[in-house]
Amino acid sequence: MSRALQAFVAALLWGGLVCVGNTAAWAQGTISGHGRYVPIDQYVPPGIAGQMALQAGKATPDHFQPVRVKLPTTGTVTFFDGTPQRPVELAAPAQAGLLVGRMYRLRVTDLPEFPGGEFYPSIELVDRLHPPPGQAERFPVEIELFPEEFTGADNGRMVTKVVYLEQPNLVLTQHLHGEKRVTDLAPSQNALAEADFLGRPIAIVRMGGRTPDRNAPDWQFWGPGAPIRITTNVTNPQP
Amino acid sequence: MKYYFLALGTVVVVCVGCAMDGQQLTKKGEYHAPPAAMMQRPGPMVDGPGPGVLPMMAPPPQRPFALTTSQVRFVGPDGMKVGWQVPGGFAESQLIAPARYNFVQAQTYRLKLTSIPGHEGLTIYPTLKVYPGHPNTEAYLSHNSLPVQINVEDLEQVEGNNFVTKVIYLPDARYQELAVANVETLVSTRLDPGVDPIQEADKMGTIMAVLEMGNLDLEMPNPVAPQGTALNADGSEVQQVAYRAAFDGEQGQMMPPMPIGPAGQHVNGIPNAMMMAGMGLPGQPAGPISGVNMPVWGMPTTGTPIGLPGPTHLPYGGPAGLQSHTVRNQTKMDLHAPVKDVLVDVSHEPGLSLPPPVKYIQYKEKHPVYSPGELSYPAWAQPQGGYGADGAYCPPGQQPQ
Repeated sequence: MSRALQAFVAALLWGGLVCVGNTAAWAQGTISGHGRYVPIDQYVPPGIAGQMALQAGKATPDHFQPVRVKLPTTGTVTFFDGTPQRPVELAAPAQAGLLVGRMYRLRVTDLPEFPGGEFYPSIELVDRLHPPPGQAERFPVEIELFPEEFTGADNGRMVTKVVYLEQPNLVLTQHLHGEKRVTDLAPSQNALAEADFLGRPIAIVRMGGRTPDRNAPDWQFWGPGAPIRITTNVTNPQP
Repeated sequence: MKYYFLALGTVVVVCVGCAMDGQQLTKKGEYHAPPAAMMQRPGPMVDGPGPGVLPMMAPPPQRPFALTTSQVRFVGPDGMKVGWQVPGGFAESQLIAPARYNFVQAQTYRLKLTSIPGHEGLTIYPTLKVYPGHPNTEAYLSHNSLPVQINVEDLEQVEGNNFVTKVIYLPDARYQELAVANVETLVSTRLDPGVDPIQEADKMGTIMAVLEMGNLDLEMPNPVAPQGTALNADGSEVQQVAYRAAFDGEQGQMMPPMPIGPAGQHVNGIPNAMMMAGMGLPGQPAGPISGVNMPVWGMPTTGTPIGLPGPTHLPYGGPAGLQSHTVRNQTKMDLHAPVKDVLVDVSHEPGLSLPPPVKYIQYKEKHPVYSPGELSYPAWAQPQGGYGADGAYCPPGQQPQ
């Protein structure tokens, strides 16, 4: 073997060693899902993500996370306290404490944009917030339902939203104020993985056009039910 | 020279960024999770009763929104009356389109469509197969209805003595192009001849309902007396009197539809696997037997032609027994000898691939550094309150001066 060939083989080996040392960097840059493997997505059956969040210890099963539901303009948001026989109607924006890991069915009515329309979205909390002690009501999970989402549901389409808490160092400075950022994803993208990359997924909101059938009621439509904790809307105190 | 190649190799590797590390030969950098249905249960011998876990395990947690009904929305044409078969006949005009109804899943129903605008004299008796829920469709079915639209083309096909099959399915994510998921309807008349719409829909997604229409009249009076009918002395047929319930929705007479058969189930005549457990838990039946007084556990979906469930991967208290199945034909015929062993290769494409388990975690916390004399306050405990003039929360260091 000539000296040149020996040197070339040595160069390849050296290059291979350098590459082995950088394997982690390669893996982080090319694997889909931003280098993380997220086994669940927005298509898993409702409730599965919440159960896995509880098993992962993201929250205790008895933790009530305040949630505020905002509508485009005005309307009525009805929470159900454990059973559909105990509706709690609140004017939007409506705030209530929901258990993490449980499924809640809501009813949205009195929308001026949809006269006579009834919508039944569901909320599944997969994590909780950690506000300053004693101020949990001031920092609820804000779930805003937009007009185009109601239009889609009214047309029989399925809308799935993942509400996440932004990771501070990933927020662009021009987005520190103003409206919430809403990103539309293709159906083939994992919304939970994208939310996990941008921050911390907090809630999965689903909405479609199904309504209760009074001729053939299906109690499973309301889910197993879970208690809620009603609180008053809290505004920021004056300094 | 060797230093030249050494430097060349290093420079190339650094510049390229180690795009090749050898793993590309065997891995493509992507993972494939098992299907949603497999994610529900860990698998045989893990979650079901087996030799070591014969006493009943705690029941699995109830999945919320696992609906037993699918809401079918008869979109149109407007004014069409929808009835269905009930015990003793048909219930007329139970719905007037557009309308919706919750049908119990995994059942087949016989509908009766009348007063179709533009086809007033036409009565159609379609069959509606409501498929059982699937993990892929649970989220959709719990929030949405299944649209059933009868259009002019369908009616012309039916009047032309053609058979129309409409398959309503939820496409897999990779087949969806819109940002908002929606169902798709596959119509047999729009496919090439010989193409089964059910198989095509099954390839592209999960079937939720199937509507089959023809021009068969199910209520046509029988002009010929069937054999065995009692006759009068003059040879005329004895007019039998029978009670026949009539339900008309326009008069407020509502009657739920009667299932006329299963739908979306694999019926192969194989008896259920029967496993007897030990003492039941409180609230559970004593001496529970799988498939008798409790749900069937671990029923294999693969059958053998000898009437036993197989493959015997689920133990019945002993090792797997059936290893070969042979049929010998002694007839003097020129037939091929039956195979001795049946081998069925099944595989997922792409195969299941999960990332390796975590073996190293680096946890690092960054804390702010304060000079002597400075003190770190939580934002909500700032001396000035931590809120701006408008009462909004301000992060530390951004309070208005």
